[in-house]
Amino acid sequence: MPVTKILIANRGEIAVRIIRACRDMGLPTVAVYSDCDRAALHVRMAGEAVHLGANPPRESYLRIDRILDAARRSGADAVHPGYGFLAENEDFAAACADAGLTFIGPSADAIRLMGSKTAARQAAMAAGVPVVPGTEAPLGEDVSDADVRRIADGIGYPLMLKAVAGGGGKGMRMVAAPEDLASALRAARSEAGSAFGDSSVYLERRLLRPRHIEVQLLGDHHGTVVPFVERECSIQRRHQKVVEESPSPVVSPELRERLTSAAAAVARSVGYTNAGTIEFLVDEDGAFYFLEMNTRLQVEHPITEMVTGVDLVQWQIRIARGEPLTLNPGQAIRPHGHAVECRVYAEDPAAGFMPSPGRIRGLRVPQGPGIRDDSGVYEGGEVPIFYDPMISKLVAWGEDRAHALARMRRALAEYEVLGIRTTIPFFQWVLDDEDFVAGRFDTTFIDRKLGGRNGEPLVAPPADLEELAAVAAAVHLATRPAAAAPAGVAGAGSRWQQAGRVEGLR
Amino acid sequence: MQYEVEVGARRRQVTLAREGDAFRVTVDERVYLVDARRVSATALSLLLVDDGEAGRSLDASVASLADAGAFEVRLAGHVVPLQIRPAGARAFGRRDAAAAGVGPQRVTAPMPGKVVKVLVAPGDEVAARQGLVVVEAMKMENELRAGRPGRVRDVAVAEGQSVEAGTLLVVVE
Repeated sequence: MPVTKILIANRGEIAVRIIRACRDMGLPTVAVYSDCDRAALHVRMAGEAVHLGANPPRESYLRIDRILDAARRSGADAVHPGYGFLAENEDFAAACADAGLTFIGPSADAIRLMGSKTAARQAAMAAGVPVVPGTEAPLGEDVSDADVRRIADGIGYPLMLKAVAGGGGKGMRMVAAPEDLASALRAARSEAGSAFGDSSVYLERRLLRPRHIEVQLLGDHHGTVVPFVERECSIQRRHQKVVEESPSPVVSPELRERLTSAAAAVARSVGYTNAGTIEFLVDEDGAFYFLEMNTRLQVEHPITEMVTGVDLVQWQIRIARGEPLTLNPGQAIRPHGHAVECRVYAEDPAAGFMPSPGRIRGLRVPQGPGIRDDSGVYEGGEVPIFYDPMISKLVAWGEDRAHALARMRRALAEYEVLGIRTTIPFFQWVLDDEDFVAGRFDTTFIDRKLGGRNGEPLVAPPADLEELAAVAAAVHLATRPAAAAPAGVAGAGSRWQQAGRVEGLR
Repeated sequence: MQYEVEVGARRRQVTLAREGDAFRVTVDERVYLVDARRVSATALSLLLVDDGEAGRSLDASVASLADAGAFEVRLAGHVVPLQIRPAGARAFGRRDAAAAGVGPQRVTAPMPGKVVKVLVAPGDEVAARQGLVVVEAMKMENELRAGRPGRVRDVAVAEGQSVEAGTLLVVVE
């Protein structure tokens, strides 16, 4: 399995992350891009870049034929899919293999098996791992509302309606009572159909106040599977993780042992290779249930890297080229310190988290002890409307949880993004919440807390700040460089300014 | 130099004059003595030296937005949007009327996308922050809400329709 030149079939921060791992290993890289991504950071950082097509993903980043052609033309012998786009598409993994390319990820068979949420549940049960009570077979369009209703009554309310091919919170609905089922079913099927091309759904009992805790693992081609210390991912907004940390503040060493063993058992039972993550729901009593497996690198992988010192992307590449997994399993499950991640989105938390694409007019990223910013953007660059609005993952490491949270607060205060709105104020609010600080939360935390605010601003600026902002803006106009001064701004300027003004008036 | 600044739904009069190496800046009644250094095209280091002792240090960034006169100022960890123009120049745009809470609200699509749901009909009474239309864009469904209470005068789109940025969706009066 040769891996000497890697094509990264992705964009944004994850493409940049993978390029960095390749550079660390001295491996040449090939980026791919759509029309609007011609000058994106991943293209600028890659050794070579190949144009794929128009902006909509199905005309560029989802075009298997063009990506394979780009690999052939550039002489790449391996493909890293990142996450999202084609990362969990078994046809893509199979097509790479057929084209003689090494797919840096699990086998197409493993993606197919674990990609079906219902088949994955069966695999977990076969490995002796408990699953949340629910339907064992997919409910396709041919299953009538009345039949779904009967099955739902058997499981009990509240319940979760989920896409069989799902991920990222799409096609997922909570159903509190029987009368909400029909509309939730319609919405989930339509969302699942447009997001995954498969409108099948299944039902699962909703646990009360569960935590979402997951176990990262790596498996090599020689039968070794190594699980890692858990990640706590209960801080979710509309079923999308927004803050993650490792280790979980509620997982004891004894529970960690049971979670990691269960995760490894599921992975071994399906002959899993490369990086993957087993997600669990953990209830208030510490009972845990298999939720699903993600057959790819995850967004939140850096927190695991920070507390174990392991470079997961580098190991993905080493495993893909056939190397045995020689890292110390003890190092992988014993956390060194604590790490927390905030997913910085181009969304406006003051306007119901409306996406906020556009040009980044100012960008200063936090630095200093314990801070890692995995970003995919730069000042002057454009956040396009066509893709996921995550622009960066901000990670803080500390000797313990309090230390990590303090550093994250400091980093959020340092983080400056102008021109577009971001979720940074939202994270400042979360990190100041006393329940969050105390580690008292479950997967409903954010939606409950946000629901209780009724649109009040998350972070109230100090009283004198508006006046000081007016001072800064006035000083800015009075001192700004001539080239930037628009016609009509009064004041004693340089001759260049005056000349510019005359130009502007012609 | 005199400016009119609109920030936080208030209009403020700002006067700026050089005083030695510093600026004397008056915001309405309040006077600031500001030692300013430009750090980059967008960044300023400001020391408020009013009382002659150690000045409060403000690390400010000011970026102009696409709309004329619209800026974002970031200082002390907060982003403050504002509008600034020389005193006596023509008035701010239509945004003011909406911000001040007068005239009909024209709810427009903030970006290209597809209308997946229309939640109101003409004649409906709506509360502040009530959802009006759901638009799918950037892989997510986004609910566009009323800024103030009112009555729906017009629904300009239908479910399934594709919209461009700025397309009028609903008028609430």
